[in-house]
Amino acid sequence: MTRLVNFYTEREHYILGGGFILLLIIAWESVPHLVALPRALSLFFTTPSKVWETFYELLVRNEVQAHFYVSATEFLLGLGLAILFGLPLGLIMGRSSVMDAMFDPYVTALNATPRIVFLPLLILWLGLGIWSKVMIVFIGAVFPLLINTYEGVKNVDRVLVNVVRSFGANEWQVMKMVVLPNSLLYIVVGLRLAIGRAILGVVVGEFYGATKGLGAMMARAASAYQVDVVFVGVAIFMAVSLIFTLTVKKIESKLTRWRPEAVKSF
Amino acid sequence: MVPYIQAKNLNLTFRPKNRDPVTALLGLDLEASQGEFLSLVGPSGCGKSTFLNVLLGLLKPDSGDIRLNGNRITGPGQERAMVFQEFGLLPWRTVQANVELGLELKGVAAATRRQRSAELITLVGLNGFEQHYPHELSGGMKQRVGLARALATDPDVLLMDEPFAALDAQTRDLMQMELLQIWDRAKKTVLFVTHSIEEAAYLSDRVVIMTARPARTKSTIKINLPRPRDYEMRLSAEFNDIKARIWETLKEELMTRSAGDGS
Repeated sequence: MTRLVNFYTEREHYILGGGFILLLIIAWESVPHLVALPRALSLFFTTPSKVWETFYELLVRNEVQAHFYVSATEFLLGLGLAILFGLPLGLIMGRSSVMDAMFDPYVTALNATPRIVFLPLLILWLGLGIWSKVMIVFIGAVFPLLINTYEGVKNVDRVLVNVVRSFGANEWQVMKMVVLPNSLLYIVVGLRLAIGRAILGVVVGEFYGATKGLGAMMARAASAYQVDVVFVGVAIFMAVSLIFTLTVKKIESKLTRWRPEAVKSF
Repeated sequence: MVPYIQAKNLNLTFRPKNRDPVTALLGLDLEASQGEFLSLVGPSGCGKSTFLNVLLGLLKPDSGDIRLNGNRITGPGQERAMVFQEFGLLPWRTVQANVELGLELKGVAAATRRQRSAELITLVGLNGFEQHYPHELSGGMKQRVGLARALATDPDVLLMDEPFAALDAQTRDLMQMELLQIWDRAKKTVLFVTHSIEEAAYLSDRVVIMTARPARTKSTIKINLPRPRDYEMRLSAEFNDIKARIWETLKEELMTRSAGDGS
């Protein structure tokens, strides 16, 4: 008995969290068994088991994979470009007041604008293929990365810069030894935000104008009242977002080993 | 003979944006000979730290001349190293990596670096803490790392900017004794900025008293106490006489300073 109690107290957090999820799924599954849904309503209703069945079917028909592949390509290309531009630009703007003054109006204006307003133009210019989505993902993800990097650089401890300078460091060494390690945590937080924005970009972009991709699959299914297919899309996006969030969190705690514990978790 | 360290008529004014300019140094003259332990005391904010930073090569004076061994100082150099007030340790580097910082920037090979840092970590008594991060250390231990880091590149001149100000009284006493032992062996020239008259009198060959801002040297008091000095010496009548003399000179400046604060 005590062993059972110990088992529970050690894992209480997970047991309660997982148990509650399980409970909700069971409740959802049992709704049609408990109440008789009117025909009109049952058209919009589905159960976890049906969603799972549909998912399996789509897998067998190789449909999910094809859509997933398109969405993943858009996501990775857009995010990659955002990292490629956002990081260096943030570093440079943080260190050089000239560059800061030149780029700041654009960054501020574009960051304040909802990125979706560019979507009609992008689709007009780049078509319904992946590149209009890659661009919307890029526009969404680049700003959190750029701005967080910039903030990290700006928040560098001036004393530490002086310390390395006093030992003869040049600007590049100051960057490598102080500015970059000091900004890393900001950059990772920026990355976390950027990933969220990128996924949002993929979904909205594909809802609005695409023939392939998970978003397009969901939009088409919704207009055909295929609620199960829509839920398959929701579940995939949920899983992907969750995996990314947890991975970045892991990276974060790896990078901040040198920090006191209290600061680590926020 | 040319003095080892010679500052002549140094002037420096800070001109921060949207603020009134602050004159930190006004015609400052100062000399130190090789191997000397020289303390600078003066009202807080008088420009002592500014002077150390000029000597370190991080700040450029507006006018005047500052030389080390006859060579004009125009930037940081390997013959000078600073022990910073708030330790200035890189928080993402271990004790060992912090100590090796100067050697790394000098381009010293990793194996040599390791050997040298091990020696210094032993010297300051931090064996067993090589792989600790600064946040895991106490204040006294952090400043030991700061001292080891400054000594690692084997500089001729050690600049110390209120190095023990952030430490508790007992740790401070201990660090002072250890510093004297290290100085005695390594024979460096030390320029030591402090607020504590007692600390200045205990450690130094000479104590330079600075005026309230803008800083000039007001007077210099030679400390003719025998070395090696020990803690008991601080209880002697002679030591108290010296402290009283420093205090007398400093008092006027503190008065000026507090009168100035009222405006």
